[in-house]
Amino acid sequence: MKTTADVIVIGAGIVGCSTAYYLAKKGMSVIVLEGSNYIGNGGSSRNGGGVRQSGRNPKELPLMIWGVKNIWPSLSEELGVDTEYKQKGNLRLGKTDRHLEILTKLTDNAVKCGLDVKMINASEVKEINPYLSDEVIGASWCATDGHANPLTTTLGFYKKARELGVQFYTDCSVTMLHTVSGKIRQVITPEAVFESDNVVVAAGFESKTLLDGVGINIPMSKVKLECLVTEAEPQMFEQMLGTADADFYGHQTKHGSFVFGGHTGYERYAIDYANPCSSSSFASCASRGIMKYFPILKDAKIVRAWAGFMDECADQVATVSKIDEIPGLYVECSFTGHGFGIGPAAGYNTAELIATGKTPADIQPLRYDRFKTAI
Amino acid sequence: MNDRLRDIGPFVPGGDDDLIICRCEEVTKGEIRQAVHEGMFTMPEIRRYLRCGMGLCQGQTCARLVKGIVAAELHIASSEVEPASSRGPVRPTEMSTLGNEEEA
Amino acid sequence: MKRYNLIVVGAGPAGLCAGIEAAKRGMSVILFDENEKPGGQLFKQIHKFFGSKEHKAKIRGFKIGEQLLQEASAAGVEVKLNATVTGLYPDKEIMVMHDGKMHDGKMHHYKGDSIIIATGAAENMVPFENWTLPGVIGAGAAQTLMNLHGVKPGNRILMLGSGNVGLVVSFQLLQAGCEVAALVDAAPRIGGYGVHAAKVARTGVPFYLSHTIIKAEGTDHVTGVVIGKVDDHFKTIPGTEKHFDVDTICIAVGLSPMSQLLKMSGCSMEDNPRRGGEVPVVDEYGETSVPLLFAAGDVSGIEEASSAMIKGRMAGIRAAYELGFCKENETENSLEKCAADLGSLRQGMFAPGNKGKLIEKTEEGIPVSMNLLTNGFVAEDEIVHFPGVTSQKGIHPVIECTQNIPCNPCQDACVKHCIKIGSHITSLPVVENPAPCTGCGLCVASCSGQAIFLVNENYEPGFASVTIPYEFLPLPGKGDKGKGLGRDGKPVCDAEIVDIKSIPAFDHTNLVTMKVPAEFAMKARFFKAV
Repeated sequence: MKTTADVIVIGAGIVGCSTAYYLAKKGMSVIVLEGSNYIGNGGSSRNGGGVRQSGRNPKELPLMIWGVKNIWPSLSEELGVDTEYKQKGNLRLGKTDRHLEILTKLTDNAVKCGLDVKMINASEVKEINPYLSDEVIGASWCATDGHANPLTTTLGFYKKARELGVQFYTDCSVTMLHTVSGKIRQVITPEAVFESDNVVVAAGFESKTLLDGVGINIPMSKVKLECLVTEAEPQMFEQMLGTADADFYGHQTKHGSFVFGGHTGYERYAIDYANPCSSSSFASCASRGIMKYFPILKDAKIVRAWAGFMDECADQVATVSKIDEIPGLYVECSFTGHGFGIGPAAGYNTAELIATGKTPADIQPLRYDRFKTAI
Repeated sequence: MNDRLRDIGPFVPGGDDDLIICRCEEVTKGEIRQAVHEGMFTMPEIRRYLRCGMGLCQGQTCARLVKGIVAAELHIASSEVEPASSRGPVRPTEMSTLGNEEEA
Repeated sequence: MKRYNLIVVGAGPAGLCAGIEAAKRGMSVILFDENEKPGGQLFKQIHKFFGSKEHKAKIRGFKIGEQLLQEASAAGVEVKLNATVTGLYPDKEIMVMHDGKMHDGKMHHYKGDSIIIATGAAENMVPFENWTLPGVIGAGAAQTLMNLHGVKPGNRILMLGSGNVGLVVSFQLLQAGCEVAALVDAAPRIGGYGVHAAKVARTGVPFYLSHTIIKAEGTDHVTGVVIGKVDDHFKTIPGTEKHFDVDTICIAVGLSPMSQLLKMSGCSMEDNPRRGGEVPVVDEYGETSVPLLFAAGDVSGIEEASSAMIKGRMAGIRAAYELGFCKENETENSLEKCAADLGSLRQGMFAPGNKGKLIEKTEEGIPVSMNLLTNGFVAEDEIVHFPGVTSQKGIHPVIECTQNIPCNPCQDACVKHCIKIGSHITSLPVVENPAPCTGCGLCVASCSGQAIFLVNENYEPGFASVTIPYEFLPLPGKGDKGKGLGRDGKPVCDAEIVDIKSIPAFDHTNLVTMKVPAEFAMKARFFKAV
């Protein structure tokens, strides 16, 4: 059994798998340790598929914009899987004046970062997506946003990384990290101790316990989110959809089915089962919300509803960072439910950081030690 | 601990690789076998990669068959293949119905 | 949101019995089923059931379903049909879709102090070339089409699978007026009861054991099928191909538990091939690893209706006990009795412990008919060894029941005590010699396996009479001439119908008496008009 490598990555979601892939591409040896029995079993296989720049905190924009320009367009070809990436824009919808205020603020901030996003009115929205109801009074529109299939993309990175010799161990839960002589060195699992001078923690919410153990605190909570999927419907629209309150999002897939996520408002109070459990209220609540936006979907049959956990950061922003105070330790977590679209870019930049000490995109705003009090 | 690089032998094309196994999503035996060799060792991974089990019957017809094929590629018993999960609604239900909850 | 002491999902034999036991002990019980008729698989079983009186033997399956529903209602169980349980959520909460029509459907929430999942099982499929052509259907689906909706599944049918489902449905296809071209199984021996096979074989349906389907033929629907012999590794042997013109291929290759709701609950599951697939890990009462969540019937392990009824009762009693609705000693007695009943059902040649084993001798030491196991009928030189088969003066029953199965209605049917099984329910029936038989025919009608005949070797000089159970329409008429068919379904002699008897006590098993040349008294076992 292989227990040492140039880099050990903890977590085999989109972030862990893409990091491992890009490292392997640079000729480095990599071991990926996944606690569950499955690759991509966390948020990577449960999210709404958004690949969007708009609606993000400006701190994430440099990385995300870089990703949309440099990674997504050629990803299917590179991985040899159909990521189903479609760059047909993102409508973030507003139903009230308050919503429009939120969207305008987000838009203005994003424009300052160089993103091509703008506010549009109700009739412009209807032109782009004629299926939306009259409830929508306006939206932000970003033409370079889109969506993709998170399942095939995550597994595609895994497949390609494996082809390049990356060693994946599943059912291999990491219990703690140890430093040796002040540098990161050991990754402890029940069955073996893995050793490397470079460790990447990309384990979603579970990153918190591991990092706490070496004195690094990323302020995250584990929050449940739920999604649903319909049967295949005739192709209706191609944009990624979201809302000002981020309470509803989704898209129509290549297959024809619609994937939608939503909120009941009680997610935070759910009983914490190890396996994210569906609630009895989500699907009905989400259905009503969807029908309000898309009356035409009222007869669409829902075939499945599922749940997942997001690692919600105190400031709702991802953490993609070298941990300076522990040489050799890197973290990619706290994606707060919007990690899929930015995941591959995070993986690429972290790989570059490890290999060369530099990153092509500016990830300074995503540092692990950015958390300051308000006063 | 599960070594995902363990040697399961090469992919040997079979005479019935174009047999449809998942009728709802039209996934063939060959596609499933090939997916195992691309690293998909468990039912959830196969389902997410190929869509078998995602159709209207949610795997009621094909799950058993897919399990057997995956097990054969991995040289293990079918009962040792990690199963996929089940989620509601267990029958496809219209949005208008799901949203139509009786008053408490 | 309504809360009940017990929620039962599934109005099949297990679910209804669970509800009955719980309600009898004072629990508030609500029971849901997605179908419009109660009884689960029972509602389409038109054949008479096996077992003993307690196990409702001799009664047709759909009647058992109706009886259980009446018992449940009388006990105070709220039964909701056309109610689909769409999910099982934390806190033992379920969501139910009532009256699932397009625009009137409404979702209801219910919570239970305890829940019993009795959702049964679904049919397995086996893929072969062109198996996705219209015309390839499950045997259970064919049964629903015929027996519930009155629609012939097809005209000429090949059945794959020789377990009880394949055998019983083949017979019902014949009753519905379909032709059964062949019955095929890759196994070397028939998996179901010999008597089920025998009643199919004697109508002329050929059995092909150690054969499998190579491919279905047709462009947009099935027009034919090719089968071939298999070797010890179940690989087809080139050169053994046989072709049949059929428009339907029925698949009866086993059932898998429909355990989706249980999986949603997060209870411990196991993949147990001997129980049919993914089943919950349960204790002897059916309780899962989630307290007060139970599984009963086929969903916890594929057996059949009689065991499902008992498992349902046990779960209902246990739930009542755990929630304080009955006292310890009463509970123990009831549960012990159930366990004993279950034990008695699980005896004999088809006991779960004997699965896959080749039983060569009956409990009495008689060699089991190998011809029955490989061709579907008992050979002439084998049948004489069985205690139900005797040669006597005057009319007497001839019982061609040759396997130890837990079943005894024939013993009670004869008021003259011609037939003896005894206290050990799997014993082969013995016909007294001489038998004080009056020829009333009640024994013939009582045999769910249709394995009892009345034979009078001295009917007329040179002629014998053979009275056969006959469940086909149209009935032959007195004086009709035709052929007597042997156990293998081949014509063996001329025959003339001399009597037809249909009385309410026979419950739709008509007794048809044919006159055959005397030397065919022990050979002719079916009639075909010409």
